[in-house]
Amino acid sequence: MDEAAQAQELIDYILQEVIRRPAVQLTADSPLVSSGLIDSFALVDILVKVEDVTNMRIPAGKVQPKDMDTVTLMLATAKRVGKFRKAK
Amino acid sequence: MTPAVNYLGALLLMLAGASIRTRALKQGFLLAASYLFYAAWGTGFLTILVASSVLNFGLGALLRRKPTLGRLWLGIIVNIALLGFLKYLPALSSDASFFHRILMPAGMSFWTFQALSYLFDLYQEEEIDASLLEFCLYLSFWPTVLMGPVCRLPKMLPQFREVHGLSLENLVAGLHRIGIGLFMKLILAQFLGSALGAALEVAGGFEKAGHAWGGLDVWFMAIAFGFQLFFDFSGYSHIVIGAALLFGFKIEENFDSPYWSSTPSVFWTKWHMSLSSWIRDYVFIPSATLRHEPLWRYFALLSSMVLFGLWHGATVTFLLWGTYHGIFLILHRLGQQFQRRSGISMDGAAGTFLSWAVTFFGISLGWVLFRTSDLQQALAMFRAVLSPASYAQLLLPADCYRAVLVLVSGYFVYGGLTSGDWVSRKGEELLKGGAGDPGAARRILAFSWENRRWWLTPMAVTVVVFAGLIVLFQNSRVTPFVYTLF
Repeated sequence: MDEAAQAQELIDYILQEVIRRPAVQLTADSPLVSSGLIDSFALVDILVKVEDVTNMRIPAGKVQPKDMDTVTLMLATAKRVGKFRKAK
Repeated sequence: MTPAVNYLGALLLMLAGASIRTRALKQGFLLAASYLFYAAWGTGFLTILVASSVLNFGLGALLRRKPTLGRLWLGIIVNIALLGFLKYLPALSSDASFFHRILMPAGMSFWTFQALSYLFDLYQEEEIDASLLEFCLYLSFWPTVLMGPVCRLPKMLPQFREVHGLSLENLVAGLHRIGIGLFMKLILAQFLGSALGAALEVAGGFEKAGHAWGGLDVWFMAIAFGFQLFFDFSGYSHIVIGAALLFGFKIEENFDSPYWSSTPSVFWTKWHMSLSSWIRDYVFIPSATLRHEPLWRYFALLSSMVLFGLWHGATVTFLLWGTYHGIFLILHRLGQQFQRRSGISMDGAAGTFLSWAVTFFGISLGWVLFRTSDLQQALAMFRAVLSPASYAQLLLPADCYRAVLVLVSGYFVYGGLTSGDWVSRKGEELLKGGAGDPGAARRILAFSWENRRWWLTPMAVTVVVFAGLIVLFQNSRVTPFVYTLF
C-alpha cells in the first residue's frame, strides 16, 4: 500500500470509528489533537490503527500527541520511529 | 539577607539582563536572578536545585549519547527517589521521626517533572542541544520555579537564546495578565475563601468532620472550594505568565475555562494543563500503547490519574481523588461507546447541557477528596450527599449560599457573554468599515443601546458585588496560594 492509500485508510477510520460526525470533513493535514477533535484515549486507538496500516511497531514512549496531530504527521512519525513487524 | 533583598536583587539583575545583547551573558544574568530569587526560600533549597540540575544534565548527556530504555529508567528512578525522600517520606513518617522534620524544597514537584520531561524528550530523540547553563536556567527560571506551569525545554530553549530587550507591547500585555491574576486571587479566590464567615471559611468547613452537614451544604462547599482553587491557581498562573511576558518570555497557558467543559476528558485538557498534558504525554500514552487490549488502556488511564493525584501528596485522599477521576474518565469512555452502539446522540443542546451538568457536578464532588484531611471526613460528606433526608437541613450561613451562587453564576454569565463566535462575528460586523469608519461608532452605540439589558444588569450587579467585597475585606487577611503546598 502506498502512502496516499495509507493516509486515506486512516482518514476513513478516524471519520467512521473515532469522530463519527457526518458534518466533519478531514484531509491528511487537518489538525486532530490541537483542534480538540480527538482526545487522548482516541489517540491510542489511532496509534494502533497506524501500526496496522503501516505494518510497523511503534515503540511505546517514542510518540507524543504533537507527533500525531495530522494524518501526514502520523505516517511521518511511523516512518521515523517505527520498526517493521516480522512476518508471522 | 532578607527575602526582600533577594527579590530586589533578582529584579535588578533581570532588568540589567534585559539590556544585554550577548546571549551567554544574558543567560548568565537570568540564571543569577533566578537563583537569587529562589535563595529567598533558603540556600539549602537552592543547593538541592543546583545539584538536581547538574545531575539531570548528566543523565541527559547519557541519553543523548544513546537513548536506551535502561538509561531513561535510571533517570526516572534517580528523580523519583529524590522527590520521594524529600516530599513523600516526611509525610509518611511519624511525628517523632527524623524524616518528619525534612522540608521539601519549594516547587520541587514542578521542577522535578520539568527535569523528567527533558529526559523523556531525549529518549524520544528530540533535537535538544541545551548547554548546562541553559538547562540550569530552565529548571530554575524564576517565574515558574515555585508553582509552575510545568514547562518543556523545547518551548523554552529558543526563548532563552533570543536576545531581545524590553518592549512596550510586552509590558502592557504582561501587566494586563498580572492584573487579571491579581483580581482572580485577591478578589475572587479570597471572597470564596471567606464565604462562610471569618470563623469558618470554605476550608474550615471541611475540617468539621463531626458536623452533620446536609447534602446541599456539602455540594455548596465542594463547588465553592473548586472555584476557590480555580481562581487561586489560575490567578497565580496569569501572574506568572504576565511576569514572564514583561521580559519577553511566553509561557504555556495553564487553564482554559475548565468549568465550561462538557465532558471529563475535555476538562482534563483545560485544568492545570501543563501537568495534565505532562501525564498524558509521558505516562498515559506510553503505557496505554504497551499492549493492545482495551482493558489494558483502562488500567493505564486509571494508573495515570492515580499518579496525578499522588503528585499532590502522599495521602490516601489524594490517591482516592486520582482514582475517582480515573473511574470517572473510564465511565465517560464506556458511556461514549454505549451511545455509539445504541445510536443515541448527545449532540443537541439538551444533550450537551446534560453532559456538561454531569461533568460539572462530578468534578465538583471530587473536590471533597482533594480538600479533606482524612478519609473519615470525606466519607461523612459523601454519606450526606447520598442521604436524601440530609438535604432538609441547611447548616451553612445563608450568606455563604448567596455568595457562592452569585460568584458561580456570575462566572458563567460573564463567560457566556465574552466567549464564542457570536462576539467576534458581531465585532467584525460593527467594525466592517475599519476603526476609522465614522459609521462604526454610531453602529456600536445603537447596538449597545438596543441590547442594554445584556450589559446594564451585569454591570450594576458587578458594582454592587464590588462594593460588598470592599466592605467584606476590610478586616480579612489574604490567604497564601493553595499550590504552594505541592
